Amino acid sequence: MEDLTRLALKTAEELGASYAEARFQSDIRESIVLKNGVPEVSVIEELKGFNVRVVYKKSLGFSSTNIISKRTVKDAARRAVNIAKAATNTIRKGVSMSGEKLGEGKVEIKPRIRFDCIDLDSKIQLLKEADKAAEELANEAKAKLPARMFILDTMKTEKIILNSDGANISSIIPRAALVAFLTAYHPQKGSAQRFFNLGEAAGWEAVEKWNLPKLLGEEAQSLSKTIMEARSPPEGEMDVVLGPEVIGIVCHESCGHPAEADRILGREAAQAGETYLNKDSLGMQVGSNVVNVVDDPTLPSSFGFYLYDEEGVKAGKRVLIKEGVVNEFLHNRETAAVFGVQSNAASRSVAYDREPIVRMANTFLEPGDHSKEELIEGVKHGIYIKNFMEWNIDDRRFHERYVGLEAYRIENGELKERVRNPILEITTVGLWSAMDAVGKDLEFQAAYCGKGDPMQGIPVWTGGPHARLTKIRLGGAKA
Amino acid sequence: MKREEIPSHAVELGIKFGATDVAANLIESDQTMIRFSNNEVTASKNFREVTINVFVMIERQRAGFTFSILSSKALERAMKKLVKMAKISPPADVYAPLPKGPFKYDPALLRPPRVSSDSNELVNYVREAIDGASKCGAKRVAGSLTATNASMVLETSSRASAVQRRSSLEMSVRAFVSEIASGHSLSIALSQRDFEPAEAGRRAGEIAKMALNPTEGQPDRYTALLGPMVFAHFVNQVGIQSSAFMVDAGQSFLIDKMDTRVASDKFTLIDDPTLMDTYGVRAFDDEGAPTKRNIIVEKGILKTYLHNSTTAKKIEAETTANAGLIMPTPWNLVVKPGEKSFEEMLSEIDEGIYVTNNWYLRYQNYRKGDFSTIPRDGMFQIKNGQIANPVRDLRISDNMLKIFQNVRELSKERLWIKWWEVPIPTLAPYATVEDLSFTKSTM
Repeated sequence: MEDLTRLALKTAEELGASYAEARFQSDIRESIVLKNGVPEVSVIEELKGFNVRVVYKKSLGFSSTNIISKRTVKDAARRAVNIAKAATNTIRKGVSMSGEKLGEGKVEIKPRIRFDCIDLDSKIQLLKEADKAAEELANEAKAKLPARMFILDTMKTEKIILNSDGANISSIIPRAALVAFLTAYHPQKGSAQRFFNLGEAAGWEAVEKWNLPKLLGEEAQSLSKTIMEARSPPEGEMDVVLGPEVIGIVCHESCGHPAEADRILGREAAQAGETYLNKDSLGMQVGSNVVNVVDDPTLPSSFGFYLYDEEGVKAGKRVLIKEGVVNEFLHNRETAAVFGVQSNAASRSVAYDREPIVRMANTFLEPGDHSKEELIEGVKHGIYIKNFMEWNIDDRRFHERYVGLEAYRIENGELKERVRNPILEITTVGLWSAMDAVGKDLEFQAAYCGKGDPMQGIPVWTGGPHARLTKIRLGGAKA
Repeated sequence: MKREEIPSHAVELGIKFGATDVAANLIESDQTMIRFSNNEVTASKNFREVTINVFVMIERQRAGFTFSILSSKALERAMKKLVKMAKISPPADVYAPLPKGPFKYDPALLRPPRVSSDSNELVNYVREAIDGASKCGAKRVAGSLTATNASMVLETSSRASAVQRRSSLEMSVRAFVSEIASGHSLSIALSQRDFEPAEAGRRAGEIAKMALNPTEGQPDRYTALLGPMVFAHFVNQVGIQSSAFMVDAGQSFLIDKMDTRVASDKFTLIDDPTLMDTYGVRAFDDEGAPTKRNIIVEKGILKTYLHNSTTAKKIEAETTANAGLIMPTPWNLVVKPGEKSFEEMLSEIDEGIYVTNNWYLRYQNYRKGDFSTIPRDGMFQIKNGQIANPVRDLRISDNMLKIFQNVRELSKERLWIKWWEVPIPTLAPYATVEDLSFTKSTM
């Protein structure tokens, strides 16, 4: 495929593109679905093709094809240039690419256990075993699990990236992922639901490590206890300890997204929105001095793993908030050129037919020095929110809401009874400024982050340690 | 092998290798998207793709394959692999054979007119939208224009055979008068004749202009006037969650609600892919069954879930021709109009909130319908039957069933809505909803 990728690049250059890149991408996914203990259809999806992206007189053009031949890749290059040409009259500022030292080489994650070593029946039996464990432990907690759905995906992504500035990167990344959805129900107590993802850039060894029967059993048991035991949360001002799952989504939504430079420039304004930050916000205090949020694509086996981005820039850790101060934005070469800085390799695309745009990879709060126990011991009156179900944030990334699922009251430094649906409805700066202590643990969760038009759901990790917020006023619980 | 012969060849191979049922479709599409922001084009994109989807059953054993290979040998290898995968799959709980053809499809539904994909013409549409908003005072305009021409060739082992053509134009435009004063509007159409990018720009610009200098809204329960974009978003929830698959998966607030009241008697929702000249028109579903008009909710009463053959068989019902081979899905949602104009509905609200758009809708509990979502773009306080002042920073935090039961009025005007947040095309009116809960951040 490298020859065809090179042909696409050469054709675009010959047609007058001032910048050209060509990418071959193959995504193969095998999915199995177990719904309420019954296998649904098993599915294989093979999506492979080429794209060409060009800058022609400051106008950006992109084209893709999944018909693989010399003729079609040359045609893709021609279409990318022609469509860029058509828009040149509307361009005022236009697009240019920052000058970068670009990578050459191959990145490959070799799975310890290849997916094709595990037969379909074994995969389904594993999900059935997990399903059975979930039902049994829910029953022990006196609840039922009337709806259970598990989707297990094994994936392999291969890319060849060439551009006119010298990048030449190929990569092969396997990924395993699980989507789990559970409903616990009791005729008198009502229902509660749990949704979560697991994901790693690794082979089947990741799935083995997850120990799904144990994990889903514990999740079902906790969910059942929530509906059977949880009471209304306390009201008034209190301290709140957030678990790594909640900290992870907070980092992603109210730190990672606002730091995306394309949002700052308004490029996503009509879809994913903009940000409360602007070009001059570097150095702005948005949190307490215990807050350090980073995004690091290079974490081994992470769901958002990569070593070079789609523009060939070498990836590294990005420090988004340092000691409570906005420290760095996420850039691709297009936004870096506007800001007059270097790209920090945030250019990602989810498939051969999607343009690369600014994305997060693995966004998390860096650990501090408290144990989880110390964080809770420091709370006289408050709650501990371990995980969540409902969340959202406005399109300037400033007003957000997280509704806890597994949560407990804290009294005089001790965990007490479960509480139901505590609502943290707060501003970004309000939340980060209220953080007074950060745990030394660190956990990650997988997610698919949505952005772009057409939509691109891209694999990421979100994460962090436990952390404590002080003097929080919670929203009321729902009736 | 010609491209259009691939589905029938796939069906033959599937049966030869031992499948009891095979459905194969080939989708060929040519799509152009022009994205713009800050009043200029930021990316112009063209996608040309051929995708083949094949689904096989060996009675209760099922498997699906999506791929893009086109040669005879590669197809044979793929079909061998697919049937083998079905053979080693554990059996599902029911076997529902594919619907028996041959079928007659309405030729008018199969062949809507093609739309232009000429880049210069599309860029001109973008200019019209930007100009339409700018004339109303917008400082910045952003959005996307998508032109699609596609065809789907379907063959099944039960003798369903047809070619569906699909063409559409979509304009989504958001106008900004300031960083926090914006308006959003759309024009979606099957033909250039009905496409109104300038009007979409004008509507977005008008809302943005009205939204200038918003003040902080106060959390409370209000009578709400929901614009078509918001109401379509909520109606999408009813449509999607009426899928029998979602009900079975516990992801629906419509579970155990058949033939009961789920909305006020003002609300009737129809899935109508047979409605000529509308965006979601199609003649057959993914199993080849001829599509039909299904009343999902009639005067507030839930009348049906949406089915494919498998979900229907589980409850001994008939397919509603909404396959999705795994998950039934609505095609083209239509809300019956009310009798009053937007102005009349507005004049009847003493104190309330008018919401023009929303995003980021997430559930705490799908089964119960507890959720929240965030208004964006123009949001206005209503006082004494008139729009008073723009407000900001409120969140709708409520229950989906309660909202539909509290629908007091629907407008006679309706707009076709489909955009980033509303995936199923929906013909939606304005809606007056009583007692809607608005919350806001505490610090």
